[in-house]
Amino acid sequence: MVHLSLNLLKYYHRGFVCIRFALGGCTNRPFYKIVAAHNKRARDGKYLEQLGSYDPMPNIFNEKLVSLNLDRVKYWLGCGAQMTKPVSKLLGLSGFFPLHPMTVTGAERFHKEQALKAQAASQEEPTSVSEDEQPIA
Amino acid sequence: MAALRTTRRVVQRARLAAFVERLCARDVCSRSPGEPEVKAAGISKPQFMDKEVQNILGRITGLNLEKVFKPMKQQLKPPQYKLLTDEQLDGARHEAMEVAKERLRMPPVLDEREAICDVLAEDKILAGLETAKYVFTDITYDMPHRERFIVVREPNGVLRKATWDERDRMIQVYFPRDGRRIIPPPIFQDENLLVVFAQERFEDILDLCLVQFEPNSADYIRVHHQTYEYIDKHNKYDLLRSTRHFGGLVWYLSNRMRIDGLLIDMIQRDLMDDAVSVVQLYHMLHPECQSANETNVQQAKGIELIKVFSHTDSKKGSYLELALQVYQEAISSSADQDAQRKEQN
Repeated sequence: MVHLSLNLLKYYHRGFVCIRFALGGCTNRPFYKIVAAHNKRARDGKYLEQLGSYDPMPNIFNEKLVSLNLDRVKYWLGCGAQMTKPVSKLLGLSGFFPLHPMTVTGAERFHKEQALKAQAASQEEPTSVSEDEQPIA
Repeated sequence: MAALRTTRRVVQRARLAAFVERLCARDVCSRSPGEPEVKAAGISKPQFMDKEVQNILGRITGLNLEKVFKPMKQQLKPPQYKLLTDEQLDGARHEAMEVAKERLRMPPVLDEREAICDVLAEDKILAGLETAKYVFTDITYDMPHRERFIVVREPNGVLRKATWDERDRMIQVYFPRDGRRIIPPPIFQDENLLVVFAQERFEDILDLCLVQFEPNSADYIRVHHQTYEYIDKHNKYDLLRSTRHFGGLVWYLSNRMRIDGLLIDMIQRDLMDDAVSVVQLYHMLHPECQSANETNVQQAKGIELIKVFSHTDSKKGSYLELALQVYQEAISSSADQDAQRKEQN
């Protein structure tokens, strides 16, 4: 099939090839295909090529399965495809890319929240202990 | 356009199948076999895939066409009747033997594969973010399964290569093979294997094992060894004769120096040549054992070989000698009967 050349896409249609998730599955059961498509296409519409899949629901072994056709991903990246944030984060987790900065930032924010919660919990304990003591006294 | 794409896929698949077959053959020949001890360097120990060993094992396995082509569950088709001349019948029989030999090709005997414990990255920042692991599989089409990248990102942030079990499972998910299940069926657990052995369905369980597991996986080796032990304990060698698993059985017993039961069974079924071949294989595998030295000294051949073996290295020497005696008496009595009948005529 003829892939529209990058220049034609870029300058005439203001479009580009995108590697992104296409949602499938059914109610309360998402399933994503990792897909190379033109960015103006519908999210679940016609794509150029399927590059893999991502199942966000863990299986009986507590694993989330991700498949990636790295050979073709490299081809499309070489053709100048853009990646969306979730796909970049996933590839960062896989080790193919370095970790996405937002993954690191999200992790730091999560740990800060956890630390705050732990501090709040530890501060509540002395106050609750002192409240308990009052009725007895 | 679509037709072009499909033809390209078909050609790719054909090339891939041929490529994979060549790679498997190459890889199988270069691996070392399953043996309990490793000899010191200098003496080249015979491997399972050596021509001589395979010749001996192939001869012993036998070619019982009735058993090889016994009725299998297939789609019900009406039988085909053909009118053939004598030459065509011989040709058809020859072809049947070729197909039987293909079915009797022995599966490889390999050492157990070593566990993979490679850590690629440790990112402590990611610890505690997720509750489930991520398993990333590379589904590049033109790649042998052994070289595929399958990595796991644990919830504690460690990026490691997948273990052999995880690898087998993922490859079965994305490149399913006919007959193989993603989770090994519970029949391969030890308690259930005993039930199968009690029903004497060794061939079926070994065929299932061959389809389900890789030849160098721990489960495959465990199931095969348990089957061989049970057969040896209960003297049920005949059930595996003329199947593709007989060579593996003989190799297992010869390596562990327990061929007595097998020899007695063969002599009792009048398979003298097979028994002699088994003793020859034993001498090839253990060249410094007593019986090998005695044989070299005496230059024994045929039944003499078995007699030497029963005197020196055998554990059930008395039973073996008894079986030999019975066999020789049977031969001599049948020879007498033939002579008497000739005189009468």
